[in-house]
Amino acid sequence: MSDGSHLERRYRRLLALYPRAFRREHEEEMLVVLLACARDGRRGSAVPDAANLLWNAAWMRIRLIAPRSVPSVFWGVRLMLLASFFELVCLGTVIETQSSVRAAVTRHTPGLGAAHLASLMHSNVVSVDYGAPIAAAIWLVLAWANDRGHSWARIGTVGLFGLTAMSLLASVGRHAAAYAAADVIVGAILCVAAFAAMLLTITADSNRHYHPRGSDSGDGRDHREPYGRAPAWRSGPDLASWN
Amino acid sequence: MGKQRMQETTFLILTSLASGSQHGYGIITDVIGISRGQTRLRAGTLYAALERLTGEGLIEVDREEIVESRLRRYYKLTSDGIDRLAEEADRLRSNAGVAMLRLNAQKGV
Repeated sequence: MSDGSHLERRYRRLLALYPRAFRREHEEEMLVVLLACARDGRRGSAVPDAANLLWNAAWMRIRLIAPRSVPSVFWGVRLMLLASFFELVCLGTVIETQSSVRAAVTRHTPGLGAAHLASLMHSNVVSVDYGAPIAAAIWLVLAWANDRGHSWARIGTVGLFGLTAMSLLASVGRHAAAYAAADVIVGAILCVAAFAAMLLTITADSNRHYHPRGSDSGDGRDHREPYGRAPAWRSGPDLASWN
Repeated sequence: MGKQRMQETTFLILTSLASGSQHGYGIITDVIGISRGQTRLRAGTLYAALERLTGEGLIEVDREEIVESRLRRYYKLTSDGIDRLAEEADRLRSNAGVAMLRLNAQKGV
């Protein structure tokens, strides 16, 4: 395969990260420009171009959240994205501190048998191994759905916060703070972010986002108006998509 | 509140289009020349700016061509874009004028 087609495929993969409507409008001409820049050799390595594409694609997707949201939902959605990130931090922390936690548990409860300890640790780590990525994914879905004004997402946010809080309380109840302080601290930060996200999405102010005036026209179509100023980039119906 | 200050990248893109319609790669090379090599736009930055400027009504698509089976789209300034660029150029010239006067006074020129 030639270098040109290899480079084109690589750029196409990066361009796929942009919102669909933007891609439909600009993908081909951007590709021409990227390949021309690579060809003329004046731009140096293609890595900065790739980083620039990644940055702009991420920025464009984040900005798509802003125009439709009332401020409380706007920040609530961002906190949900943060909560998703903290779920993964929790996972990393639990994996990282596994051996020190095992040593601390042995120290605190010398009578605990090796088999019992291994089973306890295994069940704890496995539950986080599976639970944290699932919860992170659910936070992302909730962020998307809350941004789109789906009422069920508010209930989901309350529910997931409840589960997060119960999980933290359960670990504190098992005296985790004594032998897994780092895990509990990260869990507490996650819980605070989740709590704030939940509060922001259930405020009276955010009702406008979920039950805007003019949405119930009886024809079954969504007539919601975007909140605040128009998107900085063109705001056709396709562009208001988070695809 | 006054108008938001124009970013340098925006100013350079609009300046590039002030001489006539240009396609993306043309704008990139022109901006390098205008800024004497100080500003090198990358495709991601350029097209985010073009999208925003189109949305703000400062530029528009002039025409499209197919060159070597690839799409080439030319952009041009709108009348609003011309006015906005003229305003910004005037503002910069005024600020630069004051700066030069004061520097000259300090040097005793």
